[in-house]
Amino acid sequence: MTLADVLATTGPAPASEVAVELTPILDESAKREIRRAVLTAIAVPGYQVPFGSREMPVARGWGSGGLQISLAVVGDDDVVKVYDQGEDGGVNAANLRRLIRRSEGVKTTTDAREASVIQTRHRVPEDELIADQILVLQVPVPEPLRGIERDMNELRRMHAEADYARMWVSLYEDIVRNGVITRTTGYPCLVDGRYVIATTPIPRWDVPPLHQAKFLSLFGAGREKRIYAIPPYTDVEPLTFDDVPFEVEEVSEPCRCGLICPGDEQGAYLVELPAQDGTSQWVCSDTDWCTRHRVANGVLGSEALDDADELW
Amino acid sequence: MPFQNLLTVRGLTKSFTLHAVDGRVVRGLCGVDLDIVEGEHVALAGRSGAGKSSLLKCVHRTYVADDGVVVYRRANGDAVDLLSMSDSDVADLRSQEIGYVSQFLRAEPRRGVLDVVAGAARRMGVDEGEARDRAADVLRRVNIDESLWSTYPTLLSGGEKQRVNLAAGIVEAPRLLLLDEPVSALDPANRVAVLDILSDLTSRGATVLSVFHDIDAMRVLADRVVVMEDGVVVDHGEANQVLDRNLERELV
Amino acid sequence: MLRVEGLGKIYGPGGPADVEGTGPEFGRSVSPSTGAVVGCWDVGFEVAAGEALGVIGESGSGKSTVMRCIAGDQTATTGSAHIRTVDGGEADVMGFDPSRRRSLRVDELAVVYQDPSEGLDLHVSAGGNVADRLTAAGWRNFGDIRRRAAELLARTEVPLDRMDDPVSTFSGGMRQRVQLAKALANQPSVLLLDEPTTGLDASVAAGVLDLIRDLLQETGVAAVVVSHDFAVIEMLTRRSLVMHHSRVVEAGLTDQLLEDPQHPYSQRLVGAARG
Repeated sequence: MTLADVLATTGPAPASEVAVELTPILDESAKREIRRAVLTAIAVPGYQVPFGSREMPVARGWGSGGLQISLAVVGDDDVVKVYDQGEDGGVNAANLRRLIRRSEGVKTTTDAREASVIQTRHRVPEDELIADQILVLQVPVPEPLRGIERDMNELRRMHAEADYARMWVSLYEDIVRNGVITRTTGYPCLVDGRYVIATTPIPRWDVPPLHQAKFLSLFGAGREKRIYAIPPYTDVEPLTFDDVPFEVEEVSEPCRCGLICPGDEQGAYLVELPAQDGTSQWVCSDTDWCTRHRVANGVLGSEALDDADELW
Repeated sequence: MPFQNLLTVRGLTKSFTLHAVDGRVVRGLCGVDLDIVEGEHVALAGRSGAGKSSLLKCVHRTYVADDGVVVYRRANGDAVDLLSMSDSDVADLRSQEIGYVSQFLRAEPRRGVLDVVAGAARRMGVDEGEARDRAADVLRRVNIDESLWSTYPTLLSGGEKQRVNLAAGIVEAPRLLLLDEPVSALDPANRVAVLDILSDLTSRGATVLSVFHDIDAMRVLADRVVVMEDGVVVDHGEANQVLDRNLERELV
Repeated sequence: MLRVEGLGKIYGPGGPADVEGTGPEFGRSVSPSTGAVVGCWDVGFEVAAGEALGVIGESGSGKSTVMRCIAGDQTATTGSAHIRTVDGGEADVMGFDPSRRRSLRVDELAVVYQDPSEGLDLHVSAGGNVADRLTAAGWRNFGDIRRRAAELLARTEVPLDRMDDPVSTFSGGMRQRVQLAKALANQPSVLLLDEPTTGLDASVAAGVLDLIRDLLQETGVAAVVVSHDFAVIEMLTRRSLVMHHSRVVEAGLTDQLLEDPQHPYSQRLVGAARG
């Protein structure tokens, strides 16, 4: 075995194999540190692991936490999807997708079924994810008890002792004041019967798919420097009273794709799209999924799928 | 022999150390002996300052005696020294067997007369409905008009307060009742009623150690009278005989 | 039900050496050699179920320190406390780790503070404050929580039409009633009351006192009542401790302490109160 052979199997890839245009954002030691935090988070489901959040070429609060996780966990064979508010074509999503591609040289896609790593803000894909897929969520506020307690030491103590009485009181107060639990995004959930997390910033609609999911969810908060995780096949129970069932959002209008009726088995999460004339339309917020359904339904031609590809 | 008694007092001594007055010592009781048989009413007589109240309070443990023993035979037959018992045990005994009634109503705010008396019965273990019935009964017997039953005792006249206090003290008769001038301000009309109800106590099995400044009350109620002077017992015997022979020199 | 032995609290990094030269006989609680403040020292007592023990003394005498050490709000320097319903009375709860100490506060050991903001979240409704204790004890049914909270608030004479109002909108007397409802939510074995009526108007205080007495009688809880006010101690307790310069100078039946106080300081205190 020559020295070159040894280097080829144990060291970094030879320079010739690295795409010339790559502009790495994180160095290897930073990635390793983030992967360690991710491993800790997986080992202690729901626990917020502090990590040394790096400066990113996006502003904090614009997905810098999710971006760092994605950069740290992708390998050469991964295919990455990034979408924002269910929209693959959003400026922020497109920007993050490009950053990851240029930094790591991975392939990207808009089709959740093809992706091995899906970075998202506000949504879990409507497609049912399978084992080995990793969902990376961009988290603005990782602390579920924020708004209940400000003192960091007290917060830490409450998590350490699983003392969530005041969280329950806040739910109680919500029902007393409003008749229902009004919290929409970031609904507090008990993970693996131990830690309460904020399922932020996804809507309630996306909470049930996290329970006993086949896929791994990683939550990254860049500004707050926290990573937490829901490993595959882990219990995720939305906090609610025995006699006040947890309910997801309901919309009575159909999506423009026509196929999807909220509430039926094919239901999807719809958002309201206001028009200039004051009217509004309800649309699926997972755009790639919606497009595929519209093509299948004949509402759109198959060229629409090619358009989607052009997004990146 | 002493354990035949309900209460046996031997060598009871009590002095008061007044720390605010350079530790001056005031003598209260100087070796009192006393025997009381169950069911008996014993009245203490003597001039003001003779030590009558001090004796009652030492037995009740409201005062801390310097020396002596006070042996009390409990309902279960056990003989106990009240002076050396723990505070907790004394407190328990008070709530079960030993009562103390003074002329001063320990006013309970925001509580009607009937509730005060019924509450006293409840504390002696009588259940709610029964307690109210008995309270009503005893209030009628001490001539507290039914229109006053829901009034706060603090609004009553001095005589009414004393009668309410007495009613609370005897609604569920304790085994040993210490009466410390319970009815100093009795008008003739209520006198008969109160003496009547007190004489009933011993016939119901209670034992009474009392202080009255009213000689006639002693004659009516007491089986025996013990005369005290300067902290010691100077005479004792059958009530009328003792009262008669001490009338000219000691009793007011 | 509650047994406290050798309780001592020295503020700052102190040890038994700091205790020398302090106490009633020296007329100070600050160590002359080290300057350490002795909060309380060598305090011991027992309280039975259904009994109330008074702790009386002027401010700074150490009575609140005693209460806070038992409650776990402060860490005692030395001493032990046993509660019969906790590990059959075998365990010294002072030795529990902070987490276990706090869990005692859910259903074994309740505290009513002079300042309602210490015992209540003023931004939360009266019902929510009671719900806090219930959810901490594992209650997860909204209807049950509400019914139980209403029952407790009704018992402590809080008008039910105010159950959903934030406690910050309540008067002082009403806040104390909410504190009592919260304290009794999980039927604790031991209840500590720290100046529960101090600072209230006389007529309001009388009402709260009256309620406390009834609750003590009904619940059979073992209570420790800390107060500088003889009227409060006299009404609620059978036995009391008198504290002065962080020591217990006298212990006895409450009526005895009032009528025949033995220690010079007790005599002074009673003399001043009875003026």
